[in-house]
Amino acid sequence: MARHAARTVAQYALVLFAAITVNFLLPRLAPGDAVDYLLPPEQVGTISADQRAQLLGQFGLDKPATTQFVDYLAGIATGDLLVSVRYGRPVREVLAERVGWTALLVGGSVVLSTVIGAWLGFRSAWSRGTVRDTGTLSGVMVLDSIPPFFLGIVLLVVFSVNLDWFPAFGALPTVDASGLALVTEVLQRLTLPLVTLTASSVGPMYLVARSALVGELQEDYVLMAEAKGLRPSRVRHHAQRNALLPVSTVSLIGLGTLVGGATVVETVFSYPGLGRLIYESVLARDYPVLQGAFLLLIVGVILANLVNDLLYPLLDPRVRRAPRARS
Amino acid sequence: MTEPVAAPTIVELRDVTKRFRRRARDQGRNVVVAVDEVSLSVPAGQVVAIVGESGAGKTTVGHLMLGLHRPDLGSVRFEGCDLAALGRGGLRQARRRMHLVLQDPYQSLHPGMRVEAVVGEPLAIAGTPRAMRRDRVWAALEEVGLTPAGRYAPRFPHQLSGGQRQRVAIARAFACEPRLVIADEPTSMLDASLCAGILELLLGIRTRLGTAFVYITHDLAVARHVSDRLVVMRGGRIVEDGVTDAVLAAPQHAYTRLLLAASEGDLDRVERLEASG
Amino acid sequence: MTAVDAPALPEARARRARHGRQGLGALGWTGVAMLAVVVLGAVFAPALARHDPDVTSGLPFASPGGSHPLGTDDLGRDLFAQLLFGARVSLFIGVAAAVIAVTVGVTVALIAGYYRGAVETVLMRTVDLMLAFPFIVLVVVFAAFFGRGLFTTIVVIGGVIWARPARVLRAQVIKVREFDHVLAAASMGASGARVISRHVLPRIAPLVAVQFVRAANVAVLIEASLAFLGLGDPGRESWGTTLYFAQARNAFLTDSWAWWVLPPGLGLTMAILGFAFLGYAIEEWADPRLERARVRRRATRRPSPKRPPNPARRQGGDMATAADRTEPLALEVRGLSVHYASADGPVRAVQDVSLSVARTQVVGLVGESGSGKTTLVMGLLGLLRPPGRLRSGTVHLNGRDLGFPRRSEIAAARGRDIALVPQSAMNALNPAYTVLAQVAEAAALTMDGRAATAKARDLLSSVGITADRHRAFPHELSGGMRQRAVIAMALVNDPVVLVADEPVTGLDVVTQARILRLLLEVRERYRIGMLLISHDLPLVARVADELVVMYAGRVVESGPTALITAEPAHPYTRLLLDAFPTLRGPRRALVAIGGEPPDLAHLSRGCSFEPRCPVAVAECPQRLPDLYDQGDGRRAACLLRELRERS
Repeated sequence: MARHAARTVAQYALVLFAAITVNFLLPRLAPGDAVDYLLPPEQVGTISADQRAQLLGQFGLDKPATTQFVDYLAGIATGDLLVSVRYGRPVREVLAERVGWTALLVGGSVVLSTVIGAWLGFRSAWSRGTVRDTGTLSGVMVLDSIPPFFLGIVLLVVFSVNLDWFPAFGALPTVDASGLALVTEVLQRLTLPLVTLTASSVGPMYLVARSALVGELQEDYVLMAEAKGLRPSRVRHHAQRNALLPVSTVSLIGLGTLVGGATVVETVFSYPGLGRLIYESVLARDYPVLQGAFLLLIVGVILANLVNDLLYPLLDPRVRRAPRARS
Repeated sequence: MTEPVAAPTIVELRDVTKRFRRRARDQGRNVVVAVDEVSLSVPAGQVVAIVGESGAGKTTVGHLMLGLHRPDLGSVRFEGCDLAALGRGGLRQARRRMHLVLQDPYQSLHPGMRVEAVVGEPLAIAGTPRAMRRDRVWAALEEVGLTPAGRYAPRFPHQLSGGQRQRVAIARAFACEPRLVIADEPTSMLDASLCAGILELLLGIRTRLGTAFVYITHDLAVARHVSDRLVVMRGGRIVEDGVTDAVLAAPQHAYTRLLLAASEGDLDRVERLEASG
Repeated sequence: MTAVDAPALPEARARRARHGRQGLGALGWTGVAMLAVVVLGAVFAPALARHDPDVTSGLPFASPGGSHPLGTDDLGRDLFAQLLFGARVSLFIGVAAAVIAVTVGVTVALIAGYYRGAVETVLMRTVDLMLAFPFIVLVVVFAAFFGRGLFTTIVVIGGVIWARPARVLRAQVIKVREFDHVLAAASMGASGARVISRHVLPRIAPLVAVQFVRAANVAVLIEASLAFLGLGDPGRESWGTTLYFAQARNAFLTDSWAWWVLPPGLGLTMAILGFAFLGYAIEEWADPRLERARVRRRATRRPSPKRPPNPARRQGGDMATAADRTEPLALEVRGLSVHYASADGPVRAVQDVSLSVARTQVVGLVGESGSGKTTLVMGLLGLLRPPGRLRSGTVHLNGRDLGFPRRSEIAAARGRDIALVPQSAMNALNPAYTVLAQVAEAAALTMDGRAATAKARDLLSSVGITADRHRAFPHELSGGMRQRAVIAMALVNDPVVLVADEPVTGLDVVTQARILRLLLEVRERYRIGMLLISHDLPLVARVADELVVMYAGRVVESGPTALITAEPAHPYTRLLLDAFPTLRGPRRALVAIGGEPPDLAHLSRGCSFEPRCPVAVAECPQRLPDLYDQGDGRRAACLLRELRERS
């Protein structure tokens, strides 16, 4: 077990390293001078050659590539991720402010969509072929096909602008509030983005849960459970226990994709999260921030994958390499 | 059956060992020795039955003979040539003179190919011209009892029954008149009533073409019926090797005796043999 | 898999094989229809739109009417034209990106899956990396770095989403690679390219189609998101761009925002949904595993209360042998019939079958594929799945009428008075729970938790599983051990009859002997009746007291084993006995039974065996023979016997 874990961690470390390297290379591949990335777009055309050279020196961009790479790695290790062009503050700070909000949004979405999707999916699998199943399937697929930003816009317009039930943007109240009032305000602002993001991520969870359970139901041990005389609910339990495996995997790995969806949703609702930051930085060409955010996302996604890999054996005894077994 | 004087050796394993690394999901040790210092040679026209339980290494031996695996130790020779010494092209050439008949009549034929194409495939690979191919395919189909050939040739596998599909597989095996045929449990998925026909077919063709036959099975009764020579494997090793009737009349190895008792359904004897170790 | 028929719908499987799979289904065609609408709108845009989408042709924010079916935007441009022309861009980008993604994905999958080794590792790690990352972010970043243009967008999107098709298809390639016909082709000396192109690729083709449709689905969505974020090609407006402008130009502050926003949004939804439905339908069609035919019947059973095992039954020791008529038969079946509804008419899988099993008696039920023996067992135990239905029959269990076929109390008796050891019992255990837990679960039907666990332990030990293995998971035990565990599970509630369906098929010969010995011991120790079902006549003949031979859903011969094997009355039985090679005695030529197994959808009026029978007479296909009683406990359904006796 320990060896398997060590090997997994090593593999992921490798992937992480590859990702970091790509991250390093990316801006340097795109057309244009390195300095272009460091200055706000307005200033790029106006500085003199001397100023350019000075900037290059300041940021260490006149050194050979390998030295830059080493510096870059060192920077990551110490958490020094350069300075945001747009905000003029360390990238690290900027990221720290936003991460929490995205975590809240994405985290809540993952939990909700997994629970709802699995519940609906299992129910569908049990009543497979009936009208209820086909109806739920179609309904979920329709929901899944609505572009998240479109859904967001419509919800925003209907509930915020027209009905004024929810505030239209931001995550924090404009007026200072604390305690329960703060929580309520935050939740209010969280609701629409959360609903939108969850609605667009229920689909895959539902499909996975449904197909997993349908597959399990055809296994011999389910027939045996019935033949044993167990109650129908108990038989279901047997099958669902095993169907949860792919569900949990998809859920954890889906964290990564969810952040992508969050990018768009946050933009629509002006929600100050990481996704929105990425978008703004792209428009503002704030490449240091982009690199930092990219890096943060990679790390997060790899962590999620790692957790899943380590968690899986706990759920599926077949994958365990317990010393208990004697050949 | 008496063998002709100095029948050439078609395939030979010399002190072959083959190890496999287990997949990550499997329990137990990392390395499995599937075949352990096995030596075996099969002359033309002989039917050798390899028996043993699953995991004994029988299928691996078959695959080694076909060159599908490379031995870790020892050598595998086909018509005198070491398979490991042949390059990719050479190996492919050699394989055109060998053939494999498999267990599952539902899987061994490509569902999208008509019978004619299936049986003709080895000929196509060998570069036989089209016109000649057709004749050989027709002849092979008639040989296995799928007559009139014209009725069966254009059909797809799913239009045939299990027994018919297995016949098609055998027709394919003989269309190019190979020197060696490996049959891996070819009848274990068929009903007994169909199995008999297939066995007789295989034997008839062996007699006609003088092909060397390696018949892999776990069923001792079938092995007895079909083979001249019996090889018993256990745990990757050969524990007994001799003329079939002789081995069955007076088994030398304890495991062979156990196998025989179990196959005859003599439960008491099995118990006694197990108790004595 | 064994030579025997599958637990349900053997004929359906064959029929499916004959006629090909079912069509796309309602969902699939709905998807096709939606896509058709969108595609036609895009293709005929110039003809359908009355204005150029880029040109001001009316008043700003005009309401729908006149030549502007949807009104105009803030610059007075026709929204309907924007909708139609936007469709072109969205669809084109989506499909083009999907083509790139799937082409790359398939190539990677084939190379990685077929050749394996280092190449595979490198490719798959790359795939993992790409999949791990949220692709919208990747696309946004790439688009930002590489500029905004139609071609760039297509390449960027395609270059990001190829990873999922690659991963899914590779798994499939690995599976297909192990298929026998691929193995056969490789072993015939075919080159890698030939094997891949002719054998592997065609087998994965349906899945490639599914992945293409899915990729298109995703690509359209990503493009729309990109465009919405203002990162699309400014020269070509897609639906996403329209929505971007709608938001950027404050359409929401007007009353006519709906006309601007909803049509492209709905258009997007329709296109994406169309791809989704189509992809789902193709997948259903290609993967027989997900077929609708195996719907579980919704059982309206009441949960049975816990009842302790009947104390009267446990005093087995001093009762007389099975021949004692005062003791009720463990199992008595009369006239059981099972039909399957099918497109060809009713398939009579089991017809009018009667048999009985007394305590401590072993009855062997023998038949080949299509004989109906497994269907009989499923019907008996109430485990039939639609479209199978019990047509008639009565069943008495330990003297009690179970109320077949209408009101069936079999559900309450399952696992208690009557227990099943199913086919491929080695897979009958849930891999997620320990063996002890599962046996105790069965025991918990009749006793409380602690007692159940204790009883489970007892039984596991008594079938030969040592205490240190009780808490093992099924995959940690060998096939033989798992079989023993399943037997223990069946015995735990003191059944009066055990139904063992192919209990030793698939096990190696020595383990077979051990398990059979165990079954016989169990019979002695617990005074159980046993119904042993198998296709292996010699094997069953060794252990059974009585034999029942089935063919084409009917009983053709029954009686004491010794008598039947010595002198079989029915031609089929005789041929079957001769078809098995023997280990002792002279080596005789095996007799094949000519012809094919019966087609249960089209049975003749007379004897079903007649087409293959070497001694059939003219009357045989006309009249169905009854089970003729020969007086010595034997019965055979053959006209010849009847005719001989009468003359």
